[in-house]
Amino acid sequence: MSLFRVLTLFFLTSICYQTYSQDQRMISGQVLDVGTSEPLIGASVYWEGKSNEGVITDLEGKFELTLVSLPSKLVISYVGFARSVRIINPKDAEKLIRFFLKPEEMSLDEIIIQERKPDEQLKNMEMGKATVPIETIKNIPALFGEVDLLRSLQLLPGVQTAGEGTTGLFVRGGSADQNLVQLDGAPVYNPSHFFGIFSVFNPDGLKSVDLYKGNMPASFGGRAASLIDVTLREGNNQQIRGEGGIGSISSRLTVDGPLFGKNSSFILSGRRTYADLFLRLASDENIRNNKLNFHDLSGKLSFILGEKDKISISSYQGSDFLGLDEAFGLGWTNWVSALNWNRVSSEKFFFDLQAYHSRYSYSVEFDDLENGFEWTNQLSESGIKAIWTALPHSRLQVNWGLHSQYYHFSPVDLDPAPESAIEPIATNPKNGLLNNLFISANYELSPKLSVEGGLRWGLFNQVGKGVDYLYEAGKPAPEAKIIDSLNFGRFENMQFYQGLEPRLAFRYRITDYFTVKTAYNRNFQYIQIASNSSAGLPIDRWILSGRYIEPVKSDQISLGLFHNINQNRWELSVEGYYKNLENVIDLRNGAQVLFTDKVETELLSGEGWAYGTEFLLRKNIGKTTGWLAYTWSRTWRRIEGVSQNKAYNPRFDRPNDVTLVLNHEFSPSWSAGLVFVYTTGQAVSYPVGSYQVDNQSVPLYSEFRNLDRFPDYHRVDASVTWKNADKGRKWRGSWNFSIYNLYGRKNPFAYEFRQIYNNDINFNPNTDGEITSSRPGVVMTYLFTFLPSITYNFQF
Amino acid sequence: MKRLTGIVIAVLFWSCQEEVILDLGTKSELVPTIEAYWTDQGIFNEVKMTLSKDYYDSTKVEVISDAEVFVTIPGTEKVIPFVFLGGTKSYRPRNPLEKAVVGETYQLHIRWRENIYRAEGVMLEPPKVDSVTWRFEEKRPFRDEGFYVKVFGKIPFKENNNYRIRVIENDTLKNQRGDYLLFDDTFGLGFFEKGLELGYTFKEKDRVRLELFRLNRDAYDYLNQLVNLLFNDGGLFSPPPQNPKTNIRVMSGKPEVLGYFVVSPVLTRTILIQAKYD
Repeated sequence: MSLFRVLTLFFLTSICYQTYSQDQRMISGQVLDVGTSEPLIGASVYWEGKSNEGVITDLEGKFELTLVSLPSKLVISYVGFARSVRIINPKDAEKLIRFFLKPEEMSLDEIIIQERKPDEQLKNMEMGKATVPIETIKNIPALFGEVDLLRSLQLLPGVQTAGEGTTGLFVRGGSADQNLVQLDGAPVYNPSHFFGIFSVFNPDGLKSVDLYKGNMPASFGGRAASLIDVTLREGNNQQIRGEGGIGSISSRLTVDGPLFGKNSSFILSGRRTYADLFLRLASDENIRNNKLNFHDLSGKLSFILGEKDKISISSYQGSDFLGLDEAFGLGWTNWVSALNWNRVSSEKFFFDLQAYHSRYSYSVEFDDLENGFEWTNQLSESGIKAIWTALPHSRLQVNWGLHSQYYHFSPVDLDPAPESAIEPIATNPKNGLLNNLFISANYELSPKLSVEGGLRWGLFNQVGKGVDYLYEAGKPAPEAKIIDSLNFGRFENMQFYQGLEPRLAFRYRITDYFTVKTAYNRNFQYIQIASNSSAGLPIDRWILSGRYIEPVKSDQISLGLFHNINQNRWELSVEGYYKNLENVIDLRNGAQVLFTDKVETELLSGEGWAYGTEFLLRKNIGKTTGWLAYTWSRTWRRIEGVSQNKAYNPRFDRPNDVTLVLNHEFSPSWSAGLVFVYTTGQAVSYPVGSYQVDNQSVPLYSEFRNLDRFPDYHRVDASVTWKNADKGRKWRGSWNFSIYNLYGRKNPFAYEFRQIYNNDINFNPNTDGEITSSRPGVVMTYLFTFLPSITYNFQF
Repeated sequence: MKRLTGIVIAVLFWSCQEEVILDLGTKSELVPTIEAYWTDQGIFNEVKMTLSKDYYDSTKVEVISDAEVFVTIPGTEKVIPFVFLGGTKSYRPRNPLEKAVVGETYQLHIRWRENIYRAEGVMLEPPKVDSVTWRFEEKRPFRDEGFYVKVFGKIPFKENNNYRIRVIENDTLKNQRGDYLLFDDTFGLGFFEKGLELGYTFKEKDRVRLELFRLNRDAYDYLNQLVNLLFNDGGLFSPPPQNPKTNIRVMSGKPEVLGYFVVSPVLTRTILIQAKYD
């Protein structure tokens, strides 16, 4: 729930208190959602004909209302739900009455989007923030029918994808490691399954997702590009309920309900693939012996402790495993846990405390007598964050707090099998301590003009235990000799960086339906991935800022126009931005970063910049909902040692990006979704010739990077959902049929430039016999043409 | 890693491949390529010079035959001139008895038209190869059934441990991209004493010739980068393709040159695979 809604609720609650004091004869009750039994907060309750004297339900959906002469009609209304009118007799007034409201007969989108105030984009200070309701995400046609949170965010303006089918996000010119993906406040270091094909979040267990495209509140920081703030759903406190789905690739189940009475609840959510079952059906023994699966499990316990305090404990664990030939195994696991305590000290003072631990680990095993090994690595982040919020008066809100983070990147550990001929490898650990102080204030100078200012001060120490190497000429390079090494004890300071991160935003309401906003943000990022591939791998190596690696610095300025049309039924926004990046890293040609203790010798450093304009037209209400987005943007990098030190476009620079998302409800049983995506092709390097060396024909590349483009990317996905609305509350099922890439567009995933033998791209010269001809060729790989899937979803 | 990602993509996700024709750029001027070996065995000592060509051009590369090539020992007046031989289409030492001596540093000099190139390398001491054996192995994980060759030896050096083994099977060099056998001391060198198994299967009566090179680091890096480039599939999991970093410097003339210079000892062994001695 947004802070604004909490505040609104408390103001309204105070009105209720005033009512109590005027009359001792009251009627009390609770308003609940008939579908989920969750309390409806802010529902209007009044006697018929006296709507001006009504009350609003509180955090638990409860209300108290002054009695009138009975019997009388009591009216309950709530946006998105059918109005309820019940005759109250004298005996009803003696007990707590429960009212179950039924959603109005309209699509889920219509209901959910009402949670967001129709004119929110005009009133709030936020820029570059996108909120996609989870129910909307569930209605978007999905690859393999697997509803995917991160892939859905790729449909928003300003968000690019690495390529077909992957969940990596590139936000406003930032790279994938510049996004902070967090679950209930705890960072998730590898938010993907299956090498990036699926994200780790089971949508049934989620409450909300907010994407901040650079303009983060001062209470957040640590990444240069974006914040993806995912919140797990809380269980309902009335009865055990469940929902899930059986899909083409995986099945999922979520169960929630009360825990120890009405003041506590639980939710447990799990998902598992059965891709490995399909592998066993393969006729090829080489494929049959492989294993490939993932699972994830999340849970959340919530406790309401009196009227002022609420505590929640949440945890997520997800793993992938790939096994080949019963000898090789690669597995990786995310495990994040968070504790959140929310305290309402008074109507004008709030306190939130958050503690978390996030751990990511991977393991590679090779079971071989002569060359066997086990290679493991792990990184973790632990943190604690405290935020105080005060409302000195109705037009001023102040937040301040602190956030301490401890990073521990374990040594790379390669442990040979007992008889193995290879030798063990162990690097030194890397540790970092980041303490942040922050303060922000939001002040409404006038009904038209508001200003928000914030400051975040990050103090970063790379700390021991660890080793720093000193190089000849003071500069790390592959050929530079080490002249000394410095050993640091536990928590001994190795390197210190500090930086102020100002945040500033203005909002001016030109008319009731037209607002202009501008914002400036600076962020520092003290960790990065040392990789030069566009898609993340499970074994990617994270590195900390240190003696030779300076923190990434990001500055972004943005300007936006926001206009609501037809009484807030349509939202229109245009946002422009310019972002500057310093100290971004790349790898030297042929760099080996996985096992080295001197990773700094393999790195190159430089700068980047990005700019663009994002256009969004969104319809939130009606039978047909969705959005049309267009982004024009450019992204640049200039790295010393790459592309002759000239600026170049990274692969994810895709100047034109169009997205259309539509959902339409034909009837209570039938609905359909459609997605159209068009983007400029990825920036890549094609050969400009070939040459002969070492008896090989080798593609010759230009010294300038990424001067070429893949063909433009486009596709249409469609889905149809049928649900049986008459099956009652016990069991409600629905079928979803979806087709990814409806018209079978062959969007290239890769172009490989290689020799083609015997005019057959599949000819293997080592196994397929005599070579009769050889010539250079281009082989295109493409994925997912016309991919239908079916999913059965249920609730009980 | 490539095999992993390849399997994931190919098996699970219905990937398809087809040959396409792309409109590729061209170089305004063809780039000279130099491939030079200077070893302690005369047969390996040669310098090949060719020109690059358009990517789709499937004709043979143009050989440069009018360059001036010689090798020197810095700090001395020793000059070893090379001459172009039409038969091999390469430059060979005028005196075939000239060869590299352990401990010496050698400089390669090439003058072609207005271009002057130079490269340098140190002749390193060779490791010891004690024996080469073969044995029939049943099918194992990642290994097909067949005869496998093992090299036993000792590498007593603490630095400059960069090696390449070339395998010639029945007079045919194994030179597919998966055939490269390059190793350094990242994972130690104990496996060389315990027996380094070559990753190829052989058949009965195969004649196998092994050539072991101890390379300077820059030449080893070049070959590593070359292999990486040959495996670069242009996909998201591959780094942006780049030409391998040459260890040949342009002293004057046009700034681009391709290829590499190797100064290395060479150890060779030839065996005949015979089941009766397995």
